[in-house]
Amino acid sequence: MYMYLPIALTSVNYFLVIGLGLAVGLLSGLFGVGGGFLMTPLLMMVGIPPTIAAATDANQIVAASASGTFAHWRLGNVDVKMGVYLLIGGFLGGAVGVQVIKLLRATGGADFLIKMTYVVMLGLVGSFMFVESIHAMRKKKVASAAPVTQAKVAAPEKKKTGFFASLPLQIYFEKSGVTHSALVPLFLGTFVGVLAAIMGVGGGFLMVPVMVYMLRMPMHVVVGTSLFQILFTCVEVTFLQAYSNRTVDFFLALLLLFGSVFGAQIGTVLGKKLHGDQLKILLAILVLAVTVKIVLELVLQPSLLLAYAGGH
Amino acid sequence: MKLSFLTVITRWTAVTAAFCGLFALSAPAARAITCEVTPREIPISISYHGAKLTITGQTDPKDDLILKVSSEPHDTAMKHYGKVGGLVWMKTGGLEFKGVPGVYLVNTTKDLNLILSETERGQYQLGYDAMAKATKIEDDKGQPAERKWFDEFTRFKEKEMIYKIQQGTFTRQHGEKGDTFEIVVNWPYQAPPGIYNVDLLAVNNGKVVDKAATTFEVKRVGIIAALSKMAVDQAALYGIMSVLIALAAGSAVGAIFKKGGGSH
Repeated sequence: MYMYLPIALTSVNYFLVIGLGLAVGLLSGLFGVGGGFLMTPLLMMVGIPPTIAAATDANQIVAASASGTFAHWRLGNVDVKMGVYLLIGGFLGGAVGVQVIKLLRATGGADFLIKMTYVVMLGLVGSFMFVESIHAMRKKKVASAAPVTQAKVAAPEKKKTGFFASLPLQIYFEKSGVTHSALVPLFLGTFVGVLAAIMGVGGGFLMVPVMVYMLRMPMHVVVGTSLFQILFTCVEVTFLQAYSNRTVDFFLALLLLFGSVFGAQIGTVLGKKLHGDQLKILLAILVLAVTVKIVLELVLQPSLLLAYAGGH
Repeated sequence: MKLSFLTVITRWTAVTAAFCGLFALSAPAARAITCEVTPREIPISISYHGAKLTITGQTDPKDDLILKVSSEPHDTAMKHYGKVGGLVWMKTGGLEFKGVPGVYLVNTTKDLNLILSETERGQYQLGYDAMAKATKIEDDKGQPAERKWFDEFTRFKEKEMIYKIQQGTFTRQHGEKGDTFEIVVNWPYQAPPGIYNVDLLAVNNGKVVDKAATTFEVKRVGIIAALSKMAVDQAALYGIMSVLIALAAGSAVGAIFKKGGGSH
C-alpha cells in the first residue's frame, strides 16, 4: 500500500497519489490545462518537498498532456500551426522569466512577486472568464427563446481593423478559422511564458483564456492546442529539472501519470458532453477557488513559521 | 628457608587477588549496562514505510533509563515566515541552525527533567532546553537569532516525526538473564538514509551512572538505490528516461481509449 520515493525521500500511499493523478488528469482533459497550479500544492500537502513536487509534476504532465493531445488530435482539435508559434514564444518567455526570478532571488523579493502574480493573474483570469461565461449563457438563453428563422451556419470571421490588422506576417490559421499576424501568438506566448516561469507552472490556465479571448479561437481547438503546447513545455522542464536540479522523482511521476493518463481520457470524453461556456465557467470557478486559497494562505498565520530553504 | 624471587611474586599476587575478591563481594554489584539494536541495518526498499527498531540490554533495575537515537549534528538552513506590511505572511529571511541532529528521538523511563540534573542534561544534550542552549542560530546577516526560533524548529521537526521526546515506553524484566530491558522504537520513514547513533544512559540520583552505545544504518537497496544513484551520476539519462516513459505511457493510454472519438 506504500511506496518509497527515492528522490523525495518519503513514503506515500500509492492509492492516494494515483487518485490525485486521476483527479488532476481529469481536469487536464476537460479544460486543456496541465494542472500544475493544482497538483503542486496537493503534492506538498501529502509531504512531498516543494522543489520535488514542482519538478515531478512537470514529468507527470508530459504523460497526461501526451494522452490528452493524442485524444484531441484524433478529434481534430489541435491547431499545430498556432501551437508552434505559441510554443516558440513560450520558450523565449520562459527563459526571460527564469532570469527575472534569478534577479529577484538575489534581492530577496522573489517569493512576494510569485505569490502576488498568482493572486493577480488567477483572480483576473478567473473573474473575467466567470463573468463572460455567465453573460454568454444568458445571451444563448434569450436567443434560443426567439424563433429560429435561419439555418445555422458557421459565423464568418470578422474583418479585423486597427493595430492587429496592420501588423505584418498575417497568417490564416485554418484549424482555428482565424487570421493573425505571426507576431501576435509569438508575443502572447512570450507573455504567458514569462508569467509561467515566474509562477513555476506550465501556464495552461493562462494560455487557455489568451487563446479564447485574445486569439478568438474556438473552445474545442483551444483545449487540444493548449495541451499540445503544454506537452512540449513540460518535456523541456522535466529534462532541465532532472539534469540541473536532480528534483524529478521518477516513482512519484509513475504513480501520478498512472492516474492522470486515465483521468485525461475521461476528462476528454466528459468534455464532449459539455458546451464551451459550461467548460469555461467550471474552469473559472476552479481558478477562483485556487485564488481564494492563495489569498487565505497569505493573510492567515501559517501553522509552522519555518520551512526548509530552497523551492518556492 | 630461602624463597626464590619468583615464589615471592607468585604468593604476593595470590594474596592480593584473594583480598580483591573479598572486597568485591562486600562492594555493591558492579553496573553492567548493555545495549543491542535489532536490526543493525534497515533496508529502504520500494515498499519501505518505516521500521520497528528493537533495543534490548541489561541494566541495574534501580536506575532510570534514557535512550537517545540521533544522527550526527550538522548545520541546517531554514527560511522563516514573517508578516509583511502588517497584512501578508511571507518567507522573509533565512536562519541557520548550527550543529543540530537531523533526527532526535529520546525515550525515558520517567520525566527527563525529574531524573536528570540540568548540568547533566546539558552535558549529554538531552531535552530541547539543553539543545537550545548549545545551538547557535544565525540569521541572513550572521547575527544571533531569538530563542523562539529554536522552539519553532523543534515543532517543525516534530511535525516531520523526526524529533520526539517521550517517557514510559520501556519494558523491564527480572529473569534468567538478569535484569533486562526492551524498547521498541517506531522508526520514521521520514528519516533519511545514513548511520544513526543509539545512546543508552543509566541514571541515578540525577546523574548519569553508566552508559552504552551502538549504531545502526538506514540504507537504500535494490531499485531505490539504483534510481537514486542514476539521478545523481547520470542525470541526463535519468531526465531522458523520465520523459520517454511519460510519453510512452500517455500515448499508450491514448491508444487504449482510441474508440472514444467525436467532437465537442
